[in-house]
Amino acid sequence: MKALNRPWAWSFLAAGLVWLATIWVTKGAASGGLTEAALTFAAFSVLVGIGQMFVITLGPGNIDLSVPATMTLAGTLALKLMDGAEGMVIPGLLATLGVGIAVGLANYALIKALRIPPIIATLSMSFIIQSIAIWSNRGIRIKPPESLASFTTSSTLTVPNVALVALAVSIAAWVLLNRSVYGRQVAAIGQSLPAARMAGVPVDGVRLATYVLCATLAALAGFLLSCFSGGAALNMGNEYLLMSIAVVVIGGSAVAGGDSNVPGIWGAGLFMFLIVSMLNTYQFQAGYRLILTGLIIIAVILLASGRKGGRP
Amino acid sequence: MTRTILMASAALACLAGTGFADTSDKRIALSNNYAGNSWRQAMLESWAKVTGQAVTDGVVAAADAFTTAENQATEQAAQIQNMILQGYDAIVVNAASPTALNGAIKEACDAGIIVVSFDGIVDEPCAWRVAVDFEAMGKSQLDYLKTAMPDGGALLEIRGLAGVFVDDAISAGIHAGVEENPNFTIAGSVHGDWAQDVAQKAVAGILPSLPEIAAVVTQGGDGYGAAQAFAAAGRPTPIIIMGNRQDELKWWKEQKDANGYTTMSVSIAPGVSTLAFWVAQQILDGKDVPKDLTVPFLRIDQDTLEANLETTPEGGVANVEYSQEDAIQVIEAAK
Repeated sequence: MKALNRPWAWSFLAAGLVWLATIWVTKGAASGGLTEAALTFAAFSVLVGIGQMFVITLGPGNIDLSVPATMTLAGTLALKLMDGAEGMVIPGLLATLGVGIAVGLANYALIKALRIPPIIATLSMSFIIQSIAIWSNRGIRIKPPESLASFTTSSTLTVPNVALVALAVSIAAWVLLNRSVYGRQVAAIGQSLPAARMAGVPVDGVRLATYVLCATLAALAGFLLSCFSGGAALNMGNEYLLMSIAVVVIGGSAVAGGDSNVPGIWGAGLFMFLIVSMLNTYQFQAGYRLILTGLIIIAVILLASGRKGGRP
Repeated sequence: MTRTILMASAALACLAGTGFADTSDKRIALSNNYAGNSWRQAMLESWAKVTGQAVTDGVVAAADAFTTAENQATEQAAQIQNMILQGYDAIVVNAASPTALNGAIKEACDAGIIVVSFDGIVDEPCAWRVAVDFEAMGKSQLDYLKTAMPDGGALLEIRGLAGVFVDDAISAGIHAGVEENPNFTIAGSVHGDWAQDVAQKAVAGILPSLPEIAAVVTQGGDGYGAAQAFAAAGRPTPIIIMGNRQDELKWWKEQKDANGYTTMSVSIAPGVSTLAFWVAQQILDGKDVPKDLTVPFLRIDQDTLEANLETTPEGGVANVEYSQEDAIQVIEAAK
């Protein structure tokens, strides 16, 4: 049972059980296809989830609600810039990163210079970003360059390429969070902002970097998602707002900040996709499906937080 | 001098269109609850185009469009009350709710105003309803599949947004069609929320657990996403019924050119707002119009694909605008 003391273990356990329950119906025939689909869609949740995790780690009140709009804007602008041309892949990627950095800087400018709480600042920023996305392209679907389309939809050694990208980002994030000065500073700010300030942590610099990191990962996820699904759409980021927060919480990171982990985000991302697949496969009515999804998520969070024993 | 010529030509125009003169001083308002997607944008554009022409021709005196910001019934009820005060002769309404506007609608009727609801219809008996037979739309998909693949097969159903009556109605039509054609079975059903990316994700999740799928029955706005999911899973592309969106038609055309892919596409034309306009005009003209009218679907087949794709704007929805003659036909058919 020692493994279950890891905060992220429960999300993997839940994902594994749901996977087994789904395979059970199809008598094992679907295991390969289901795993591949789960890895693909979990990859997008993981990318936005990691960014949101760093922000949430900064402590109470820190959250980025501009994730969906950033995804939409990055996908829209990058695909419009590339216009299907192979030679424009690098500029498209640079535009994506540019959108992320610009949104992150603007978010923190609102939070710091105008002293607006992050939840309001990022929400109002998301309206501005979404309007720019609508204005720039009116939702017209432009195809990605063929090389990007085939890269995002194919696999290397049976592992989807987008999952490999997300895995590389995850490893970097793990090193950043657990082994770098920056990561320790983020956690220190989340545990106690006054204490971190006293200890000489450059609070503003660290927070700024974190909001930029979150927006950049959201932009990257939007870029990959629009290449994967054959074009950007104005509503493509919608479900990733709650998703980015849900995977952090289900993954066992502390909602109050200061204590986070990267592996749990993978478990939670897989779980969030598989739970919908399982209930679809069992042919539940939509109403029951939503109720069951809610109940199961509550159960996983309760189990995951129960490990702390006496701690509130 | 110019003025006299203008008036003379206006009089001539009135003579040319018989019955026009009776409504030339009437004012019609459009009360619309929502404008935030491509379908509604096309709906408003069609209204502006057709009614603008009608005003220029002197058929009616005014045809103003008003859209509420928040898609809420209370806001729309207040908007309708304003229209009553402004003295419009008829109100054409796409309602936020079938029941919540009844009070305001009744007030309008009591003030002697003609109320015609369409698309989002109201159940207040004093109003006219230009309704869509969504059940028949669902069933028409099975009628097509029956001839396209007489041997039948397993179907994947993509539904819309759970809890909206349109979703229940289209799905009921599809299930009724399946019952009539026992060759077909529904192997799986997912909710795609009428959005390509949601549909793609939902289909990708259920696809591994399904047997070979012969056809995908849909509700519109989800066909392209389904095609992407089948391609990503490395499965052969089944017949996917489309919903008249430009990206769907474009994909269909590419497949048709590449490998002779066949399917059909069905949805409601956003120009239905112009049909409601002409119905209101006919009622004002004193014509006897039944309270319940049915909108024809806009169906696109293999041979009409190119023509429709050409006239559909990028990112938009295939559309037709209705004329006064179309409205008269629909009214006659309902009698």
